[in-house]
Amino acid sequence: MSTLPDSATAVPAAANAAGEPGRETLLSVRGLRVSAADGSELVHGVDFEIPRGSAVGLVGESGSGKTLTCRSVLGLLPVGVEVTGGEISLRGTELTALPAAEWVRLRGTDLAAVFQDPASYLNPSITVGAQLAEVLRVKTGLARRAARSRAVELLHAMGLHRPEHVYTQYPFELSGGMLQRVLIAVSIAAEPELLIADEATTALDVTVQAEVLELLAELRRDRGLTLIVVSHDLAVISQVCDTVHVFREGSIVEAGTTRQVLRAPRHPYTLELIENHERFGIDRVRKQRSQR
Amino acid sequence: MKTITGALRTRAGLTAAIVLAAVLLLTVIGPLLAPYNPLKYSAEILQPPSAAHWFGTDYLGRDVLSRVLAGGPRSVFTAFEAVGIGLVMGVVPGITSVYLGRVYEWITLRVMDGLIALPFLIFAIAVAALLGNAVQQAMLAVGILLAPLFYRITRAAALSHANAQYVTASQLFGASVWLVLRTHVWSKILPTLVVTTANATANGLLIVSSLTFLGVGVVPPEPTWGGIIASDLSYLSQAPYGPVFPALLIMATVGALNLLADAIRDTSGDYGRARILRKRGARRVNLA
Amino acid sequence: MTALLDVSELHVALGRGRKRTEILHGVDLTVAPGEIVGLIGETGSGKTTLARAVLGLVQAQSGTVAIDGREISGLRGGALRAFRRSGAVQYIFQDPLRSLDPERTVFDSLVEGLVVRGGRGRAELQDAAQGVAQLVSLPLDLLSRHPGELSGGQRQRVVIARAIAVDPRLLICDEPVSALDASTRITILELLLRLRESGDVGVLLITHDLGSLGGVADRVVVLYQGQVVETGTTDEIFLAPRHPYTRLLVMSVPSIQDEEPPDPELRRALRDELRSLTANSAQAATRH
Repeated sequence: MSTLPDSATAVPAAANAAGEPGRETLLSVRGLRVSAADGSELVHGVDFEIPRGSAVGLVGESGSGKTLTCRSVLGLLPVGVEVTGGEISLRGTELTALPAAEWVRLRGTDLAAVFQDPASYLNPSITVGAQLAEVLRVKTGLARRAARSRAVELLHAMGLHRPEHVYTQYPFELSGGMLQRVLIAVSIAAEPELLIADEATTALDVTVQAEVLELLAELRRDRGLTLIVVSHDLAVISQVCDTVHVFREGSIVEAGTTRQVLRAPRHPYTLELIENHERFGIDRVRKQRSQR
Repeated sequence: MKTITGALRTRAGLTAAIVLAAVLLLTVIGPLLAPYNPLKYSAEILQPPSAAHWFGTDYLGRDVLSRVLAGGPRSVFTAFEAVGIGLVMGVVPGITSVYLGRVYEWITLRVMDGLIALPFLIFAIAVAALLGNAVQQAMLAVGILLAPLFYRITRAAALSHANAQYVTASQLFGASVWLVLRTHVWSKILPTLVVTTANATANGLLIVSSLTFLGVGVVPPEPTWGGIIASDLSYLSQAPYGPVFPALLIMATVGALNLLADAIRDTSGDYGRARILRKRGARRVNLA
Repeated sequence: MTALLDVSELHVALGRGRKRTEILHGVDLTVAPGEIVGLIGETGSGKTTLARAVLGLVQAQSGTVAIDGREISGLRGGALRAFRRSGAVQYIFQDPLRSLDPERTVFDSLVEGLVVRGGRGRAELQDAAQGVAQLVSLPLDLLSRHPGELSGGQRQRVVIARAIAVDPRLLICDEPVSALDASTRITILELLLRLRESGDVGVLLITHDLGSLGGVADRVVVLYQGQVVETGTTDEIFLAPRHPYTRLLVMSVPSIQDEEPPDPELRRALRDELRSLTANSAQAATRH
């Protein structure tokens, strides 16, 4: 899989300005509380910091607050759900105090996200290329023709074969894996620093999932993209992330490097998650073999 | 039943139901309440409304109130008759077209396409001319022309549920088409059907009034709402209030039917849910 | 021991006219009583078509499907319905919410197979529903609820209970856990294991996720582009896959024990090998 020839320029300028790329904190979330309209609290004070250029995993079951936390960062909470406390700061800018219009501007250029069901984020009656080019024109101000060639470049960088052909195709003509690649292209079109992948590979075939995870790792390596990977699957997190935060019922119960959390879990819930994971699945068979 | 009781809990639904109940009561017992013989001439022609003649009298001195009351059954029940014919002729092929194979489906579709192409009034007048100028014939024509409406609505509803997984599950248990229809499909079509029927009845009433206004299907001395408007219209300069009362009655009935249809639609099934979502301000979020 | 399910040389084509394409190119598959066989394949591999062919929802072009030694792929109409009413083959859908009628209670769904079969009184149905509900550890107070009020795991237990209420010989589960949370997933998989132990039921477990078969399936059948490319015990497939597709599949499953993600180069090499393999078989096919 080849990358863009100008991938060096794709690295955000700010990363070079920072003396120590990869160490400086890009996003910090402190004491984040999220509540529903009826007053029930769904996220009870979550803290974490994401260094620039890192890949952080948020793991937990549905309802654990991992997705709400990400949506708070994006400013895209469901109607009726609100941030009721805490701070979210991106490079020192406090996001929770931002007016909505400012947040819209940040999305795409600074923050971006991909979700589980790529097809529902694309207009079915417009070619994927035109949709990608539109984002480029709106978010980066490229002229029509420049946007087109840049879009084809991006599609190529996403590992799509014959990008000129893909550009002219409609969403229904593409497989789930290809659509997710297109969506990743759309989300990084304006060169954001932070990409949130919320269950982005859950609906894909395993072989395709492996390729998309690889693409994410490659984007991180070549463009300095910072990743937040949200998943219910410990194995997905372990493959992509260096640190992991374990969510349970709206709180983080354990955090640490992926290796340490998975090999020597301290919290009983993390242990339970790992045991559940090894109860069924390929890791069970592998574990049995290693014990023999 | 649930679909209707839900609608009655809204203010619009309740108002509509009360108006309709009153109209229905008037049409059933109206002829008995008529203070005068609706066909009897008198010398007091074109009288304004008074204590003796609440709605005044027409150009032959007949009591308008009595004529409106006596014309009720003709006007309302003929509309019911037309809608009933439309229901049967539309709903049965509408549902079965989804389940009884491609050939049957193709034939029903083409027949309905053909019917849609016919203009209402002209077809009704032609049928009445062909079969004799009686209200039954005219209503048969109107009913046939209402059938495509019911066909389309029920077919669309049945189509959207025919391939539901729970229908497949039922078929995998060995259920016959009839059993699947009864247990899984019918209850989902019903709300849409009730809404359409209410709307179609309103339309039917307007068509009946239009036809009788034009003199199709009813032989003159016999009173109908449309006919009363027509006869009074010629004397508008002398008695401007003449057509007002029957026209108001038609308006109120049609309005109430449509209001009821809206109320049912808003409180039942998919429409209801969609409206609730709209109210909560749910929207699609563009993340690009 | 005769196989419970015996599929041999099954060819299935879908679509009409020029768009007709063969989905399954001669598939062989057996499931023995008391055995859980995993059928793994990616989107478009034909695994769902295979299930639908076994269920008689699509017609086979050639080949046979036998249940307990009885050939069923030729059954049509009334004979097919009669066979389905016996309950021998049951299907568990991927999405429990869509496979349950939203307007019917859990009780109605649980006894649907028995009701279709007929001849049982209300009290008998009540007993049967409570029996299967207990078997899948579904709280009895949920029987009067609607599917919308249940959690995902509870719904899937209702779907499984509905299937086992008719004493099936073969359960075909299409992605039974992929719509569920990790912990619910485990309760459902354990339920399947318990079912296998309790009787002579055979299970065909269809999934795109090879990982989910470990610890559940006795044997794994790998379907790739409409053909079975490899069959073996679960350990054989996971630890010593032979066919390049199976190797690619096993390598792609993320593991929490791997320090490093799988080598992309190796995966790419396998992809190329696969591509040349399919190109060769396509050439071979055109030469015939």
